Amino acid sequence: MTVVQQVLFELEAQYFGHPYAVSGNALFNAIARRMDSGDARALHVSHGVFVPGEYGEFPAGTSHEGYAGKLGQSLPEVESCDDLFILRDSAYRWLLDSRPRDAHNAHPLQTHGDRVVFDSTCWFGRPPGQRNRRRSVSWYVHCYLHADSEDVLPLSEEVLDELRVGGGRNYGFGALSVADTQLVDLDALDYSRVTEAAELGEAFWVELVSPYVLESEFPGADSQSVPWWWDVDMEAPGTGSSTETMGGLRRRETRFVDGADSHALVTVDHGQVVGYAGSDPVGTAKNGVLRIGTHSRFGFGEFRVRPASDDRVPERSPVEGDGVVEGDA
Amino acid sequence: MSDSGGSSSAGVDDVVGEVEPMVATYRHDVHKARSRSHEHAEDVFRGVRVNEDVPLGADHDAALLSRPRGKPERTLDAHESWFRVSLLTGEVVSTSGTVDDVDVALREVIESDDAGALHEAWLSSDVPAMFNESPYYPYTSLKFHTLLVAALLDNYRAGFGFDELFLAVSLRDAVPEVVPHRTVLSTAGFALYVTGDPAGRPAARLGSRPARSFADVWSRLPEFPFDVDASRRWRVLDAQLRRIRSWSVALQFIEEYVAALGPAVEDAEVVA
Repeated sequence: MTVVQQVLFELEAQYFGHPYAVSGNALFNAIARRMDSGDARALHVSHGVFVPGEYGEFPAGTSHEGYAGKLGQSLPEVESCDDLFILRDSAYRWLLDSRPRDAHNAHPLQTHGDRVVFDSTCWFGRPPGQRNRRRSVSWYVHCYLHADSEDVLPLSEEVLDELRVGGGRNYGFGALSVADTQLVDLDALDYSRVTEAAELGEAFWVELVSPYVLESEFPGADSQSVPWWWDVDMEAPGTGSSTETMGGLRRRETRFVDGADSHALVTVDHGQVVGYAGSDPVGTAKNGVLRIGTHSRFGFGEFRVRPASDDRVPERSPVEGDGVVEGDA
Repeated sequence: MSDSGGSSSAGVDDVVGEVEPMVATYRHDVHKARSRSHEHAEDVFRGVRVNEDVPLGADHDAALLSRPRGKPERTLDAHESWFRVSLLTGEVVSTSGTVDDVDVALREVIESDDAGALHEAWLSSDVPAMFNESPYYPYTSLKFHTLLVAALLDNYRAGFGFDELFLAVSLRDAVPEVVPHRTVLSTAGFALYVTGDPAGRPAARLGSRPARSFADVWSRLPEFPFDVDASRRWRVLDAQLRRIRSWSVALQFIEEYVAALGPAVEDAEVVA
């Protein structure tokens, strides 16, 4: 049994930390101080991805169908490997077209002096004289834990509740409360979409969900090369052409904080897509959830394996009755 | 109907009469800035012919980059206006203080008969940025819709199909060049292009069909045009752009963010 514990936090205050995600390291440090030190040494924590608590429709390919209610406010039941990623890709293509989806999914920004912070709530629909009609969207943070020894998980809500992450956390910033948590056995999940595609000889994509560490200044950490099973030149999803990008893989520097010290990391930035050149897509898919490479215990090196026919922008797939956009009033 | 369905096989001359198609493109949606739908629009504004159809389906394809397919629905309660709502502030963009007379200011982005001059006028003007593409989608931007239509049409006229197009970005630390009709956003520090010929610039493909795919294409760029490693302000912008799907919403957000929060003042580096 390979168990992960998914945790959904509600953001209770403004946040001033890494803007892409709450780092697994920040979450680990906030959680570990409440645990027995032996148990904490066995704990692995993913990055915490920001999610708006908004209405949506389950994406195609998941084990759910249709209208999903407020998808970002609770954890959908996980039956297939695709279900694991519903709340992990910040473009949230499941948000409804009938609502101002980009406004729901962009962080509401506030400035405090020179600091740009994320607000925990976004307000809508308040023209003068209609204040009673205003509506709000709250923000959530999705992460998951796993452990090297069996008796560490699940962590109780007491341990997970009222964490503080990011800058200014001694002044009330970055407060998180537990909204939902559930256990998922990775070995019991349905991987049929991957196995069926493999039987048909289909190619696969590797989507980088969190940065992959190439170089770390952390003492004793080795430099890594780009994994051999990443095909950077493979034809892109949704294109009819030969190369996905011009210029190779994008890199980004970030910092890894260890107590009072801070170490530079060079990473392959998340959000990019490479071809899969390996021969065990199911095994690789599981490894992607448990993460690979340096600092994977703290959220780095998470990825998703997808059949090549599966464009992450569903609208880009051919549809019947290519309709006209009627934008004029 | 302002959006002609699919790729048009009609001859360019039949569709637009005497006006050069690129010129007509920059004039095709002026009715929106006058709060009128296409059906109720006038054909002449301040002595210039406006409101003409754009050839080769470029208007239709650009609309699909920013708005959902199919019949529109009102997406924001209590908003029925051609004035844009800012994704940065959440407020309706105000005319006060920006321009004294919208009609006079609009003339500056349509009156020239030179398509290149019109492109430069649209790139630098704040006036069309006050309006949306449709009151149903109030965060969209008339300014960037029009620039996207022009970029698509120019590429189509050069023989590129949609699936051959890239989002390209200016090289870091170089003065951003303006490529006629294909520069879709120009700030002091960087520029974005929609083009079939990236000419050595970092670029990612738009995909096989027009869709609200900005977040996806942006996050696949091999290099960003600004230095996310140097400033948290750029990282905040980048993080937002990985979330926004509509192209005109995203381009407008970049322009507003850079103007309001661009990291001219280096913010103190605080690590989480």
